Amino acid sequence: MTRYAMVMDTRRCISCHSCTVACRTWNELPIDLIHNPVLTDGPVGTFPNVHMTHMPLICMHCDSPACVAACPTGASQQDPDGVVWVEETKCIGCKSCIQSCPYNARHVNHELGIAAKCDFCKIRVREGKEPYCVQTCHQRARIFGDLDDPRSEVSKLVGSVRTVRLLEERRTEPHVFYIIGTGGQG
Amino acid sequence: MIDLKQDDVEIKKSCCYFCHQNCGVLAYVRDGEVIAIEGDPDHPTNQGGLCCRGNIALKHLNHPARINRPMKRVGERGANQWEQIPWSQALDEIAARLADVRENHGAEAVATAGGTLRTNDWARRRFMNLFGSPNSFHNAHLCWIPTFMVETAISGWSPFEVDLAASRVIVLWGQNPGASALPGMRGLSDLQKGGLKVICIDPRYTETAAHADMWLPLRPGSDCALALSWLNVIIREGLYDADFVANWCIGFDELAEHVKQYTPEWAAPLTWLNAGQIRQAAHMYAQNRPGNIQWGTSVDQIGPAAGATMHARALLRAITGNLDCPGGDLIAGPAMNYITDEEMEANDWLPEEQKAKQIGADKYRLCTWPGYGRIAEIAKETWGKAPTAEWMCEAHGPSVFRAILSGDPYPVKALIVSATNPVNSYGNAKEVLEALKSVEFLVTCEYWMTSSALYSDYVLPIAGALERPTIHNNYGVADYLIASQRAIKPKFERHTDYEFWHDLGHRLEQAEMWPWDTDEEAFYYMIYPLAALGYEVESYDDFVEKYRMYFPPVEHYRYAKEGFATASRKVELRSSVLEELGYPSLPTYVGPAENEADDPKLAEKYPLVLTTGGGFMPYHHSEHFQIKELRFLMPHPQMQMNPRTAASLGIEAGDWVWIETARGRVRFKADLTEGIHERVVFVPRGWWFPERSHEGADPFGVLESNTNVLTSTSDDMCDPIGGSWSNRGLLCRVYKDAQGDRA
Repeated sequence: MTRYAMVMDTRRCISCHSCTVACRTWNELPIDLIHNPVLTDGPVGTFPNVHMTHMPLICMHCDSPACVAACPTGASQQDPDGVVWVEETKCIGCKSCIQSCPYNARHVNHELGIAAKCDFCKIRVREGKEPYCVQTCHQRARIFGDLDDPRSEVSKLVGSVRTVRLLEERRTEPHVFYIIGTGGQG
Repeated sequence: MIDLKQDDVEIKKSCCYFCHQNCGVLAYVRDGEVIAIEGDPDHPTNQGGLCCRGNIALKHLNHPARINRPMKRVGERGANQWEQIPWSQALDEIAARLADVRENHGAEAVATAGGTLRTNDWARRRFMNLFGSPNSFHNAHLCWIPTFMVETAISGWSPFEVDLAASRVIVLWGQNPGASALPGMRGLSDLQKGGLKVICIDPRYTETAAHADMWLPLRPGSDCALALSWLNVIIREGLYDADFVANWCIGFDELAEHVKQYTPEWAAPLTWLNAGQIRQAAHMYAQNRPGNIQWGTSVDQIGPAAGATMHARALLRAITGNLDCPGGDLIAGPAMNYITDEEMEANDWLPEEQKAKQIGADKYRLCTWPGYGRIAEIAKETWGKAPTAEWMCEAHGPSVFRAILSGDPYPVKALIVSATNPVNSYGNAKEVLEALKSVEFLVTCEYWMTSSALYSDYVLPIAGALERPTIHNNYGVADYLIASQRAIKPKFERHTDYEFWHDLGHRLEQAEMWPWDTDEEAFYYMIYPLAALGYEVESYDDFVEKYRMYFPPVEHYRYAKEGFATASRKVELRSSVLEELGYPSLPTYVGPAENEADDPKLAEKYPLVLTTGGGFMPYHHSEHFQIKELRFLMPHPQMQMNPRTAASLGIEAGDWVWIETARGRVRFKADLTEGIHERVVFVPRGWWFPERSHEGADPFGVLESNTNVLTSTSDDMCDPIGGSWSNRGLLCRVYKDAQGDRA
């Protein structure tokens, strides 16, 4: 089986916001919709003894996606390869998914009147390309691939480097893995 | 989503113009329209990546505010009233006016100001040489060019090529690739995994400093003291390459004697670092050979100390034996296998008496005809080729603006501005704006209506990256080239700048000197010699599609055969070129442009130290402020200061503040960060407000938050060697703007 997943290497992220802008232009999203925010913590400390970390966020493409469970129409759904996506014609814009998602990854697309989300650029992925946010990232802070394929970079990283998942206690089984660290270590 | 797999979609190999990297872009084209772009995975620079700016290419191409047709002024200057006219009529009328200026005031009364890496500047120089004027200029003095020329004076050609896979240490001297050269940052992050040590010299805790092994937050503008003290440590402790120095350098004993005075203890209070830090950094550089010192714009922008600092930094590379060795700073020399920009410039056509009239050449002699002429002569003896004159040999921009206003040394009556907004980009913005308002005849080649274009007699619509081919060869001084093709024909009546100079030349008795009717024809002429190496192509586009690039094999130790390309064939630590031009032959300490030691009274009034000019996301120079897909990331101008300093001034995060120097004041929002010294203030460049009115004394708000209101270009604030003016290391004060938010 294929199980798509992403690794975020925070040791490499520099918060350039390429992913934020690129996702929106590639997917032709309205100006108020962001699937890919990057949060910055710092500089923390007192000059000159400071450090800084950046946290790129995205839909976690959970194994137990709260948004899919909450969706009354079946518009929010998950493919066998793990990709959680929205079938636009079925979405009635009730926002149940927005309330249920612990990661704040669901937002209203006001132009379409639906609750939009990242779909791991599934059209690109099926053409053998990477999701656009991954390709556009100069820093290669995002790594995408098949977690079930032991030769893939994501499965090697998840198997060899300490990674964490966000809000594990919510039991959604998120499939975005974070390598936590500061710059220059990765 | 548009289906990019359809049969009628063509993929073109284009590039990006939104910084100097010229990253590769794949453009998906259908029916003459670009329907999508993405980073080119096969491009050696970006390997598929694109920063946020690169990703808005289509927003730029199709933006409703773009200038799409030639416009002739019909109202008062600055009234923003225009008549649309055909391109050919505009060119006829401009040519007639230029001929008139030449007849009445001499060719030198026509000057041109250029922008960066989105134009064919050899074509501009070709036009100017044939027209007879020596007064072309860019912001070159602030961006690498003096560095290139000082280093070329010392080692025969600037050793700017890298070989980082074999390097053990890299010094980023005022360079922040994490915000201004993302492909470079990726390379560093990769190499750090393999053990490359990174030393970052920067007053700010930048994206890059946050990844460095050692961060040296020096006082802005004190780089000269730091470089000299590194020389002191490396020589005193015997960390230099004794064999290389003995065999390949001249002037070492004098240098050793000369730098004895520049101890780390001497440098500590000047740089605000401690002596231990300075020693440790010098050790990290000198004891991890091979190493590389990277250029950053910072030293080019520190004013009076710029040339001496570049000189000292060049000597660090030389005495450590890092020149042209594997993993060091490589000296590639000019491109031997294709026609260089310099060979396209027709420099021999400019008469000597016109060269002598170049504005600023009497004061700033290295990057003008006196110094360039000597360096080009030596280079031609070695290679038969020389560095580009455009960039390396230019009129001094601020002196040209003053000539417009004062008529000294002679009147400048016409100015052609291409790909730059001088009010944002040059120092002393208020003076520049006055000059643009006063010059008798002003033509601007632009994408947008700016505060400079506003005062023009003609504004010409220029094609962007997707609408024209591009040869990237690092200002014409690389030995390689990367080629991109046009994705589509220019939209509307947009033209390339090549066509502008070509069409102007045809109207001013230069027709036979412009045998290439299109950019592609000219580029094909330039690359044609590559056929001898097996690059057999039938057109320029053919080259792009088949090869895209040409890189000669990397060679090391080239000097072993013929020596270095200097008069002595050695590395001239004691520089004969600088000496001939009347400058110190060894680097001698010069303090920051304004500083507490030399002028304590000024420091009392202005107790903080300003740094400015550094690149930051999501903007580039004065670009992209009208692109809402980027502007949302930073909607308001933001300066940085330390929270403790802010607290002492009653300033809270997000407050509007004034930053003031002896020249004027600008308004920014306060971003408080521990990533900056309590006495340092960072004010970013480029800000203007395209959404505001053109009316009044401050068109498009170009003076309100423009850091160049704070900077100085007066002759005493410029580097006597290269002419760089002062953006960094100036004294300022900060206070809250009581009015706060306003429209």
